Amino acid sequence: MSLLKAFNCLCLMLTLSVVNTALAHHSFAVYDNSRSVTLKGVVTKWQWTNPHAYLELDVKDASGSSKHFVLEGTSINIMIRGGWRSNMIKVGDQVTAIAAPTLNGDSTGLLLEVTLANGEKVEMPIPAGYTFKRTP
Amino acid sequence: MNHTLMLMLYLMAMMPLPVFAQQSAQTIPDITGVWERAKDPTAPSSQPAQLKPEYLKEKQRLVQAQSEANAKGAPLATRLMHCQGDGMPGMMGGPFPMEILQSKGQVTIIQEAYTQVRRIYLDAAQKAIDELEPSFFGNSVGLWDGSVLLVDTVGIKPQVLYQNMPHSEQMRIKEKIYFATNEILRDEITIEDPVVLEKPWTFTMSYKRIPNYQMLEYICEGNRYYVDDNGQQKMLPSSALN
Repeated sequence: MSLLKAFNCLCLMLTLSVVNTALAHHSFAVYDNSRSVTLKGVVTKWQWTNPHAYLELDVKDASGSSKHFVLEGTSINIMIRGGWRSNMIKVGDQVTAIAAPTLNGDSTGLLLEVTLANGEKVEMPIPAGYTFKRTP
Repeated sequence: MNHTLMLMLYLMAMMPLPVFAQQSAQTIPDITGVWERAKDPTAPSSQPAQLKPEYLKEKQRLVQAQSEANAKGAPLATRLMHCQGDGMPGMMGGPFPMEILQSKGQVTIIQEAYTQVRRIYLDAAQKAIDELEPSFFGNSVGLWDGSVLLVDTVGIKPQVLYQNMPHSEQMRIKEKIYFATNEILRDEITIEDPVVLEKPWTFTMSYKRIPNYQMLEYICEGNRYYVDDNGQQKMLPSSALN
């Protein structure tokens, strides 16, 4: 995924170097940028839209009970430029997602990275995504 | 008729355009293409806007409220949350690609984010602000002064804020768009607003070409965000979209 990494570097450089940029669609302040969670589950919805994409998963815990998660991506235009395609994910796929959880502890999050059903890792090219820490 | 006169008439007939028109066209640079924001180390440094005291307080109140809400993880809603687009001058700021098209009598600028379009009418008279219905992009007229495109824009809706800056209906946006180098296209933007600003506010946005890029569509078809009764942004469940 060197293309995605290169794109993220570009985003970082652009964010650092350019002032007077336009605003984002909405604030990401609902998400905790100090930690991440890893969610292994089955895709129940893959919403490939603007202003943002959404990945929904059913994740089973150790006891076997299932919990539903809604993970938000970025604009599909940014994702396309970063190498993403809509057909990379399908309903029913088993995937592993890394996400920044919400500060209020509900079952939504900001999608940072996905390991696809074929084992390929793809990063979400969120502008200023480097500000969200990955934790074990 | 002697040979010299015949030769002169022949040469004049062979000229496809009057010489002066050719020279004029040659000074107009080709800015058609797709652009993205770029570093521009030699750009004039941008200074913060100097607001009149009452408007400075209004802006500070808004910024403080946003900061406190963000710290609680419960950000306040913004206009963009409804996919309304930046309007002017925010749409010139990217960070999505921006396409410029030059046609007869018009320069058209398309910002990929939210599919925002502004039209600059060349060599046209600006309208009086009172005659215009306020809009997101206002009414833009422009002219080529040598190789510099001068643009004048008025008629921006009051709720179209750039960087949380309040503005009055008297706001006027003046732009100088020109090549700073062979690669860098620069837009020097000056906002005049005698009601809100102590003095005109000038800042610069610079761009480089994105070769071979085809603009993507941007339709806000899957917006899950809404504003709750407390003015905070909230996310709808997916079931609410269908």
